[in-house]
Amino acid sequence: MKILAIDTSTVMATCAVLDEDNLLGEFSLNQNFGHSENLVPMVKTLLDNLSLKVSDIDLYGVAVGPGSFTGLRIGIATVKAFAHVYNKPIVGISTLEGLAFNLSHRGIIVPMIDARRNRVYTGIYKWENGYLNNIEEDTVMEIDQLLEHLGENYNNIMVNGNGINIHREKIKDKLGDKVEFAPNIHNTCRAASIGELALLKKDHGKLSNYFTLVPEYLRESQAQRDYKKKERDN
Amino acid sequence: MVKIILKNPKESQDFGEKLGRILKGGDVISLTGDLGAGKTTITKAIGKGLEVEEYITSPTFALINQYEGRVRVYHFDVYRLEGVEDLYDLGFEDYFYSDGVTIVEWGDKIHGLLPEHTIHIQIEKGKELNERIVTISGQGERYSEIVEELRKS
Ligand SMILES: Nc1ncnc2c1ncn2[C@@H]1O[C@H](COP(=O)(O)OP(=O)(O)O)[C@@H](O)[C@H]1O
Ligand SMILES: [Mg+2]
Repeated sequence: MKILAIDTSTVMATCAVLDEDNLLGEFSLNQNFGHSENLVPMVKTLLDNLSLKVSDIDLYGVAVGPGSFTGLRIGIATVKAFAHVYNKPIVGISTLEGLAFNLSHRGIIVPMIDARRNRVYTGIYKWENGYLNNIEEDTVMEIDQLLEHLGENYNNIMVNGNGINIHREKIKDKLGDKVEFAPNIHNTCRAASIGELALLKKDHGKLSNYFTLVPEYLRESQAQRDYKKKERDN
Repeated sequence: MVKIILKNPKESQDFGEKLGRILKGGDVISLTGDLGAGKTTITKAIGKGLEVEEYITSPTFALINQYEGRVRVYHFDVYRLEGVEDLYDLGFEDYFYSDGVTIVEWGDKIHGLLPEHTIHIQIEKGKELNERIVTISGQGERYSEIVEELRKS
């Protein structure tokens, strides 16, 4: 079985091909938001170099967010188009889960994607018996609020994602020796992680198709916004 | 905070063009003021300073228009915006935090969604019919740079 995976949630455009046993190839460019021009040629280069054709792909994995609105739409539209042509299943994977999967830390794993205006998209993950479990659901939150929550409830935390580049000093400051920063190479979205997760999840009935798959933007709810507005106005 | 008096449309035109020449990719301008204050007039002038050749009109139906100048220019008019959901459906953050210049008419309506580095320009009518009082405010490095550049004649 061959899996093609894509993640364009952030500025990193990344695609990978895997089978059950191995990562066969991965192509990532951390450049700019030129995903609409770059992604399909990247996939083509990757497949050509592996002497594979789109028709050889049995399963698709794609990061469904949270992340860049435009980026997510490009990644999802691309995967849908491929999957549609040969009528193959797709597994949508949380971008945050994909990031957490980059790490093999023993404590808790907290991926953070910059959501601007001092907010991050984040979730809490932990490896248990060989599975990466989601301990606290993906959400969008103020960095200060997240760090306070982490400080009060957890120890032995590893963080990654582009949010840590922006808030590194603050994270160090608030969490001190409770926190470790992932090395840079595990800090960015990797299609290889999305692909392996897709492979793991396909057996748990978590399949989508080109019709049902939608992005997960994780917007703040109206209630959250009203609450913040009140706080500001007070 | 900087206050500037613009005595007539010509002065507003010159102010907008000058500002446009100063702006760089990533800058966000919010324009606030009543109907007829001069938001669109100044937007057009900023566009000229940014070397947009195309004729700039208010994006009444689309909420956003996009132009090619020295850098890409995104022009929002959020006057008719009913709820911020519409903005989310547009993916507004990818514009506000892009490497183009973003200009938002009625920016105060979406104050909480504007980036911290937004340059706020408030336009009020003055005593004379054609007089406008412009107040520029903001924070951060870019704000100081822009204000400094504006002061040079
Ligand atoms: N000093 C001035 N600056 C800008 N506009 C002026 C000035 N004096 C008079 N006007 C007139 O005011 C009107 C402003 O219209 P417009 O730019 O469409 O406003 P808005 O977009 O804020 O609703 C124009 O008809 C313009 O000619
Ligand atoms: Mg107008």
